[in-house]
Amino acid sequence: MSSDISMGDSHSEDHHDLGFIRTYIFSTDHKMIAKQFLVTSLLFLALGGMLAAMIRWQLGFPGQPLPFNLGAILPDTMAPGGIILPEFYNSLVTMHATFMVFFALMPLMAGVFGNLLIPLQIGADDMAFPRINMLSFWITPVAGAIMLASFFVEGGAAGAGWTSYAPLSTSGEWTGVYLGQILWLVSLIVLGFSSITGALNYVTTVIAMRAPGMTWFRVPLATWSLFITAWLLLLAIPILTGGLILLLLDQTIGTAFFRPEGSGEPLMWQHIFWFFGHPEVYILILPAMGFVSEVIANRSRKPVFGYHSMVVAIVAIAFLGWIVWGHHMFQSGMNPFLGMSFMATTVVIAVPSAIKTFNWIGTLWKGDIHFDTPLLHAVSFVALFVIGGLSGIFLASAPVDIYLHDTYFIVAHLHYVLVGGSLFGIFAGITFWYPKMFGRMMNETLGKLHWGVSFIAYNLAFFPMHNLGVQGMMRRIYDPNQYEFLQSLQSTNTFISKSVFVFVSVQVLFAINFFWSMRKGKKAGDNPWDSNGLEWACPSPPPHGNFAEIPIVHRGPYEYSYPGREQDFWPQNEAPVESFGASTKPEHEHGE
Amino acid sequence: MKNSENGASDNRMNFLGWKVDIYIGIWVILLLLTLGEVILAFLPFPKMALASGLIAMAVYKAALVGWYYMHLRYEPRNLWILAICPLPLAFILVLAVMTEFGWLVG
Amino acid sequence: MSDAVTASIDRTPEPGMGVFNKKLGMWVFLLSEVMFFTSLIGSYIILRYAHPDHFAAPGELLNVNLTAANTFLLICSSVSMVKAFAAIQQGDLKGLQRWLLATILMGTAFVSVQAYEYIMLAHEGFLPALADYTAHAGGPLYGATFYVMTGFHGAHVSLGVLALIFVYIRALRGEYTVADHEGVEVIGLYWHFVDLVWIILFTIVYLI
Repeated sequence: MSSDISMGDSHSEDHHDLGFIRTYIFSTDHKMIAKQFLVTSLLFLALGGMLAAMIRWQLGFPGQPLPFNLGAILPDTMAPGGIILPEFYNSLVTMHATFMVFFALMPLMAGVFGNLLIPLQIGADDMAFPRINMLSFWITPVAGAIMLASFFVEGGAAGAGWTSYAPLSTSGEWTGVYLGQILWLVSLIVLGFSSITGALNYVTTVIAMRAPGMTWFRVPLATWSLFITAWLLLLAIPILTGGLILLLLDQTIGTAFFRPEGSGEPLMWQHIFWFFGHPEVYILILPAMGFVSEVIANRSRKPVFGYHSMVVAIVAIAFLGWIVWGHHMFQSGMNPFLGMSFMATTVVIAVPSAIKTFNWIGTLWKGDIHFDTPLLHAVSFVALFVIGGLSGIFLASAPVDIYLHDTYFIVAHLHYVLVGGSLFGIFAGITFWYPKMFGRMMNETLGKLHWGVSFIAYNLAFFPMHNLGVQGMMRRIYDPNQYEFLQSLQSTNTFISKSVFVFVSVQVLFAINFFWSMRKGKKAGDNPWDSNGLEWACPSPPPHGNFAEIPIVHRGPYEYSYPGREQDFWPQNEAPVESFGASTKPEHEHGE
Repeated sequence: MKNSENGASDNRMNFLGWKVDIYIGIWVILLLLTLGEVILAFLPFPKMALASGLIAMAVYKAALVGWYYMHLRYEPRNLWILAICPLPLAFILVLAVMTEFGWLVG
Repeated sequence: MSDAVTASIDRTPEPGMGVFNKKLGMWVFLLSEVMFFTSLIGSYIILRYAHPDHFAAPGELLNVNLTAANTFLLICSSVSMVKAFAAIQQGDLKGLQRWLLATILMGTAFVSVQAYEYIMLAHEGFLPALADYTAHAGGPLYGATFYVMTGFHGAHVSLGVLALIFVYIRALRGEYTVADHEGVEVIGLYWHFVDLVWIILFTIVYLI
């Protein structure tokens, strides 16, 4: 049907049976696509976790054969006698990061929550381009298959780090990986199209399809952060794609964009990669910040403290994120003038994140806090993100980074922001919006147990890494004991490994909760959390078309505990009391 | 249904006294500029000045295509603001990396 | 609230950019394309700045005159594209079909001339790979950057031609009207963009 600015009729009444394939395999419904992304992301998250466990096995129990006879399933090119080879270890660290960043976190943030939340929170019946949405999903498993296939080719999977620096990555001479490196590039080039098509859908939908009355400053923070994240994806991924293509040409047809023997410039690869790479990390954190804002406000029964400044902070982070990339390269031999500029901008970018942190605390302050699983994850996000941010400020200073670069201090920092931050934020999002997706609540006891053990094991695993880094343990290293000055750190490494095994194992509880609740969870109504957003103004799960008729928005999304009102929440689409016709005139809102 | 109006009645421009179809008028300008560029490229001007001049001409041609052929002239103002937003990023990347190779700051 | 009141409520979405969805989507997509070409053109500028000895003076290796004519051709195809759009805006279906066909033919001609140019250059040893570059001027970085930039542009033109053929077939079937010709406008935007990129590329690659 011709698309114009109007959203067309909702088709909740006239949904005809599309058959199994059109409903579950080639669906254009954003909610089904979100679930599809959820399946692939969680599978890749599990794979990434397995790879991490193997890394930690080598570091915690160096030279020991893998337990549970796992060595028997691995070929001799990877782990003869169950003992991980150095070359395979390089692939492990590379592929752990690659799968986690590109195939788990990114699709979880944008693919799952972008798809699930955007149309529902803005009161639309679906995305602007449902068929492109479907395409965007299906590219992901194809790219994933290519990446998985790289494990099985001669030379094994890519082993040059997820950052794939030239000249290590331009030739298999040092890693022993040839085809695997090529497949890594091809897979990510393909995956880029999924991100770009998804992003253009999200941007267009949020701009063009907001329900009447949903002005920009009545848009919930989850949608705001997903919208800004979509802009980052749109503009950053093509840069990566270009760089990957150039590197692929270097590897296949023998160009010399990055190869010094042909007057190529390895440093140029680093610049191109990190120009993408830094916005990428904001892509990985901003949506989580959005989820956390929603959950904290709802579970504290209070408006988000400083909603407007939250929006400004998200936009500021996105803007500033473009001019800090060099802080990943302080040690590269780059021009010191450039390094100084990046140090300045990196310090500045801490400010909007700090504003957000104070606002979360302000939201919790004197709230009527309900300590259920989503809130526990959300508050963990805040605490752990602060730790990650603090280690980040150390690293922002070039002189300090010169000492700490490529040590375990970096590993600690990145995992605090990506696991402590992004992953716990995702858990907050999943536990909060699960009832909307599946019509049932997740089990609270299992949820709290999963959270508690995860939180403790996570910190036991990653906090000591700060110290390891300061003591000089470098990252991506197969055998730290080859250096006498690192031998005393072995006991710490073993302790960390055991903590990681606990952390990885306890995720099984989450998986059990996830699947059990789908069938046996307590049935959720439309609005089990007494929330204000439009996504709660339709059934759980919503039918095709989401809303019986397009909702009209009368207020912002955080009118909790409005003075004088009996109910401690006030849905966005609830009609004003004294009206005899719908009015979209803004009422007095908190902070206005 | 709101569609882009390119001001069908506004489809003519003044060209040295003649009224011509605006698209043809812009086409002639683009042609002349292209010819101008090709001629200019082989004249013995200092390299930097020449490069800047040629790029400026190219950017102007691109802007003409965007403004008149892609109808940005008739679209809401926010659309052309949106359209130019990647450009600063392009500049930042290229100029920053050029400093690596000695540009401005040896 | 009474049914009559409910039914009379205006449920038009918030004004966004003020353009229809497909057009906004195409513009947003084109922004990502700008970034893609930025990485390719940017790497060329950087490598040229770092290794000027790899590159040659304008006209030394590349055929400026032929490509200038080709540039002219692409600009003409942009005119025919916008004339096609102007035609269907007036409801002139025949005009739409004629101008679309002209655009397709000129676009195809552009790619063909480029292909011919590639073959000529390859014969002279102007190739992308380090080991194959035997041209009498410049170095392998010249070949590599040249083929990557113009090649990906040519690929975009080719995809544009395919899309135009698709639109042309729909036009032949009379599927566009005064009231509904979004597809023509959207493919037009893509086509003009491809022309715009070439305007920049031609100057940077052939004239500097």
